[in-house]
Amino acid sequence: MVDESLLVRAVDLARELGATYAEARFQEDVEDSIVMRNGRVIAVATSTLRGVGVRVLVSGSLGFAATDRLDWSSIESAVTAAVSRARAVASMVRTPIEFDDSRVGRASYSVVPKVGLESLGVEDMVNLGREVYKVTLGAVKQVKVPIATFTMEKHVQRKVVVNSDGAFVRSEVPRVSLAASFVEHQPGRGTVQRVLDFGASGGVEWLKEWRVEEEVGREAANLERVLLEGVEPPKEEVDVVVGSEIVGLVVHESAGHPMEADRILGREAAQAGESYVKLEMVGSYVIGNKYATVVEDPTVPGSYGFYLYDDEGVPARPRYLYREGVVNEPLHNRHTARVFGTRSNGAARSMNYASEPIVRMSTTYFKPGDMSFDELIGEVRYGVYMRSYMEWNIDDIRWNQRYVGLEAYLIVNGEVTKPVRNPVLEITTKDFYSKVTGAGKELRFYPGTCGKGEPSQGVPVWYGGPDVRLSKVRLGVAV
Amino acid sequence: MSGLDIARGVLSELAKRFDDVAVKVVTRDTTMLKLWNSQPSVVQVWRDVYVNLLLGKQRRLAVLEFRVGSPEEVLKALARVEEHLVKAEESELYAPLPAPGAPKPLAGGYDRRVLDFRQDPRPLAEAMVSEALSSGAERTAGTLELEETSVSLATSAGFSGEYSKTRVMAYLRSFRGEVSGHWAYGSTYVDERAIEEVGRRSAELLELARRREEFTPGRYDVVLSPLVVGNLLNYVAFMSSALAILMGMSFLVGRSVGDAVASEVVTISDAPRDAELPGTAPFDDEGVETYDKPIVSRGKLTSVLHNTATARVFKASSTGNAGWLNPRPWNIVVEPGSSSLDQMISEVRDGYLIVNNWYTRLQNYVEGQFSTVARDVVLRIRDGSVVGYVDRVRIADRFERLLKGVKAVSRDTYRITWWEVRIPTKAPYLLVEGVNLTKPT
Repeated sequence: MVDESLLVRAVDLARELGATYAEARFQEDVEDSIVMRNGRVIAVATSTLRGVGVRVLVSGSLGFAATDRLDWSSIESAVTAAVSRARAVASMVRTPIEFDDSRVGRASYSVVPKVGLESLGVEDMVNLGREVYKVTLGAVKQVKVPIATFTMEKHVQRKVVVNSDGAFVRSEVPRVSLAASFVEHQPGRGTVQRVLDFGASGGVEWLKEWRVEEEVGREAANLERVLLEGVEPPKEEVDVVVGSEIVGLVVHESAGHPMEADRILGREAAQAGESYVKLEMVGSYVIGNKYATVVEDPTVPGSYGFYLYDDEGVPARPRYLYREGVVNEPLHNRHTARVFGTRSNGAARSMNYASEPIVRMSTTYFKPGDMSFDELIGEVRYGVYMRSYMEWNIDDIRWNQRYVGLEAYLIVNGEVTKPVRNPVLEITTKDFYSKVTGAGKELRFYPGTCGKGEPSQGVPVWYGGPDVRLSKVRLGVAV
Repeated sequence: MSGLDIARGVLSELAKRFDDVAVKVVTRDTTMLKLWNSQPSVVQVWRDVYVNLLLGKQRRLAVLEFRVGSPEEVLKALARVEEHLVKAEESELYAPLPAPGAPKPLAGGYDRRVLDFRQDPRPLAEAMVSEALSSGAERTAGTLELEETSVSLATSAGFSGEYSKTRVMAYLRSFRGEVSGHWAYGSTYVDERAIEEVGRRSAELLELARRREEFTPGRYDVVLSPLVVGNLLNYVAFMSSALAILMGMSFLVGRSVGDAVASEVVTISDAPRDAELPGTAPFDDEGVETYDKPIVSRGKLTSVLHNTATARVFKASSTGNAGWLNPRPWNIVVEPGSSSLDQMISEVRDGYLIVNNWYTRLQNYVEGQFSTVARDVVLRIRDGSVVGYVDRVRIADRFERLLKGVKAVSRDTYRITWWEVRIPTKAPYLLVEGVNLTKPT
């Protein structure tokens, strides 16, 4: 760990050098992982990234510098570099960057696993990988499984955030994650490919919760049916029941991202893009119907992107991005909050010590309704149930999006019937949130690594929701 | 202490404890200026030492990454790795590290001016932005990055070597009203004209985007800009790695050298010896000398990218593309053709010119089934002329079908690196027939 007094000293030095704001963040990320193919280990891997990132505001110009050395001389050099480079380009700044006056915290917190990650040895990970492979092969009857891969990782992240407005926040968050993938092949029918991801903060207790072998086996069997029996989706407009896995991704892409205030202001314009949302639309623009409530909450226990204070020291809290169909509250850091004339809601996150804190999601979900799955499909005379996906994307203002179903079925007279192959839900954000006619009551979460920033920062997130029914959707088919 | 001293020091500590050891030390000193609304959003500085290790013991493999500041810290972390290795099993991707050769040094790839501009990137940034504004942009956003990198490698097979290079990445997006354009430059040296050209090219296409056109999904003849070619070929090059094929992450699964995978006018090479491009390197992570090689030559699959271990699995030879475990391309170069951009446009009766794209994702890697979304302006071409624009259409097709549909390659190529083109690429315009375009209806 770092000598924390050096972080305080770094902030003080930056202020002495002329910074109106300064922050120093120690961050350590330690990961152990394995990679397997067809039930055999390819390699074990470890990664240790540890250092200090310094961020300063000088004459309205924002500077960031990072060092992987924890001695004072190196940290001092980082402070000097951040201040001098920010000053060097300050003459190009026409709109000075300022931070809001959010209350920041002095706190220490950690996620305490029920079963610590130290008890998860390499041999345990290997055994799980072998078992998953065995289950995958055993689940299919006719098709071949030429390739199946398994990766697993445990990760501990420690941070100390200090800034010139009084923040002093220590945190420790352990995480565990794994991914199982397989290819099924049948001559004349081609292939299907699936990647299943699992991830959470906490410890080994998650493995029981996830029932990985059972899930992978079920998917392998169901996708064999899709490969052997899948038919083209209907060409006419039909009702579509969108499974929670896809709903989660939809809200991440089309509610979470467009409601990042830095995007709305254009800070990501040349990278991850902008947003259909403009500042004046907040609080009034109607994006959907009464079902369209999307929540973003870093404090969900066990969530993959869990935190209680952000990397600017601001306390985390739930944010209602869309509330009953209205664009409601963007995700803010202290800079965007200042521009919007509000206060930060604690969305600043950094991937590692060498990354500047930027506006990020954590756990984003569609608010559940009160319907059972049977009730959702019971009213559908002819439609499609899309349970999972592989391919997806969305345009750079978060309006035009596409999800290609993997495990999908026809619904006929209120019952799930034969499988459908590669149905394409290509829809605008407004259409999706306006066409909801029912939401399930069961909320499920899925892990992901969200990319944004330059250099690109990948941070762990959850996204989720219930199964959701849409009316009158015209599906396509992947060519 | 130099990077090579660190590498040799760590190697000497580990050589007795492991059968195979490779130590790669990368030091980087980088300044990145990020722009929004034609002004800086942040200037970032990194001074890091990356220590990466490949360890082999009883044919078991471990790959380690450290950014912890000192060799002592690296050695401290190794106890748990030894334990992991013992509990793992023999790897099908194990091969002894190769005997050292004497790789030819790089012919270029280092520009001292990068170091000066790293201290003050403002003149280059201002030139890029002002060129865009004077070419019709109302506002711009982008990035200018200047970096010096040193790479040192020492292996237990006796290899020891080092090299240094510099890198410039500049890209800019220009906006006018509801339309935008984009251009990029990635090289080992500062080229003021090319950086100004980024600004000009990002804005000049906006002049052509005068009238918004209706869009109907279907198959069209499409001109892909070097940005789009760079993005899509980054995926193709990734999928030409032998590990991607072994892991089922490639449309080249089941394909053999000599198979037709593209049109005859397409030749795509991995070019580590192209010192203009920032991926240039004289040796790979196993100390094997690099060399330029076609991946696809005249439409035929010519090379899969290998390290020593994947080469053993495929009964081939290393292509100098290690990556421990994962062979990877250094630079991508597309062989120029004979067409001008104007000629390409004039050949399109009913189609589009796609300026830029992002968010390429695959439904099925083995089938190469993908889609990607156009960003920035998409120019509508009818009867050989640009008549207006549409926006944010999607290419939804298969890689092999797209590559086989290439009808013409431009004679001019461009050095492209940006957020969506991470492997530096020398890319032309391509005219592709029958590309499936979609959008929500």
